[in-house]
Amino acid sequence: MTDVNWLSYSLSDFLMFGPEVFLRLFVRINQDFWPWQGIAVAMMLLIAGLLVRGDRLAKRGILLLLAAAWIGCGAGFLMKYYGPINTPATWFGWAFILQAALLTVAALVWPWDGRSAASARRWQAGIGWLVMASLLPLLAVAQSGNWQGVALFAITPDVTVAASIPCLLLLPRRVRWLFLLLPLLWCLFSAATLWTLGTRLMFVLPAATLALTIVGFWFSPRPAQSPG
Amino acid sequence: MATQWTRRQFLAALAATGLSLRMPVLKAAPGEMAITRPIPSSGEQLPVIGMGTWRTFNVGGDQHLVSERTEVLKTFFELGGTLVDSSPMYGSADDVMGEALETLNAHDKVFAANKIWTRDGGATREQDRETREKWGIERFDLQQVHNLLAWEEHLDTLKQMKADGDIRYLGITTSHGRRHRDLAHIMEQQPLDFVQLTYNVLDREAEQRLLPLARERGIAVIVNRPFQGGSLFRRFQSEPLPGWAEAAGCGNWAEFFLKFIVSHPAVTCAIPATTRVEHMEENMGALYGALPDQQQRRKMADYVAGL
Repeated sequence: MTDVNWLSYSLSDFLMFGPEVFLRLFVRINQDFWPWQGIAVAMMLLIAGLLVRGDRLAKRGILLLLAAAWIGCGAGFLMKYYGPINTPATWFGWAFILQAALLTVAALVWPWDGRSAASARRWQAGIGWLVMASLLPLLAVAQSGNWQGVALFAITPDVTVAASIPCLLLLPRRVRWLFLLLPLLWCLFSAATLWTLGTRLMFVLPAATLALTIVGFWFSPRPAQSPG
Repeated sequence: MATQWTRRQFLAALAATGLSLRMPVLKAAPGEMAITRPIPSSGEQLPVIGMGTWRTFNVGGDQHLVSERTEVLKTFFELGGTLVDSSPMYGSADDVMGEALETLNAHDKVFAANKIWTRDGGATREQDRETREKWGIERFDLQQVHNLLAWEEHLDTLKQMKADGDIRYLGITTSHGRRHRDLAHIMEQQPLDFVQLTYNVLDREAEQRLLPLARERGIAVIVNRPFQGGSLFRRFQSEPLPGWAEAAGCGNWAEFFLKFIVSHPAVTCAIPATTRVEHMEENMGALYGALPDQQQRRKMADYVAGL
């Protein structure tokens, strides 16, 4: 009795919820978390400021803030909200916490040097990152048509992962792959889910992040920017 | 022969009459009886329209959506439905169903059907107990092996559970037209009360072997994916119903699709799933009125195929 035709399965056979329930996750976490979204905004401003500063301490600070953001997404959105309707989200929640531990180790243990890029480039990096982290959450608003459904950095995973990738490029190439594995897996999972749900605007984010992550495996900052 | 009514029967008929008067969507005459089919192994009558929970009741801890789904279930019961089918595979659907049944105080109204979905062939009773606790019921009326998963071990335990009175009926399920050859083999060999399979106006492979076999073996048939996961509406809802649909008892596309299914003589019950009360009302319209005959069923299939 083995006539299972696996080709007859589609991605939608593995999704046990519809777009309405998924989009409500963002509204619910924002309602429950209110007014502590201010912490997420403060974290974004701090990261942008540290990118502008660009010294050894700033690099450590950026990675620690990213670690806090990944813990927030993993323990909050993924495990508490998304996991009950989609079991793999709980597994990703644990993986996000593991990633946060890795980032913390990298921040505290890695022998960062004090070299930094030219001032103009650091300003570009800081402002560019802040603009990106501020605009990406609006994709979820455009998808749901509801401001309460905004997908903030440090609260929801797609924006957090997307905003983390440019910062992870600070890491030396020989260890960077370790930090890009989970973003790669998450983007594949999220892109497949959002495509199947038909939430095409939100699909753009993990798809673009996936491309950026793959580029990140090979791209190295110039020596003046590299910490290692 | 004179019919004697009990007080309970009289009150139920009175309530049904009042209900039918305030629901034009059904177009049911006052006192019109719901269409039922007997479960072959017992003779117990089941309304031909049930309810599934796949992708609809998995709303997690979202109390706003739990309330909406509770309204859907309430409408289902009010319009004469009894059989609700779910599975541990469907995320939080069992938890939500339990919450809705509790809110409606409807544990005695439901014909509770669920599934065993685990590769661990020794975990049948444990999963049955976990799911029962979620639903808040003493026992499931029907417990089924989900998608033939570890079916030999689970079925052996289900037979024992039925003998012990821990479940009333046992069955086995498949969907999407998969593993029909395996299912036929099991139907030929095993003492099943129910099978569950996919059958609709476009997916008609079950007519070849499984439905005739179910009649021959006296097995009740639950039909899942009656709207092909909603795609039948996406494809055909913009098209007009044929002029003869009213004569076949179909006032809208939901009734058209569902009555095609439940008018097959081997089918006991179809289990559409929905998130909206108005769609539930349309679905339950197929529980009343005329059913298409053989000639009309052929015309229905030909009409849809020609669109």
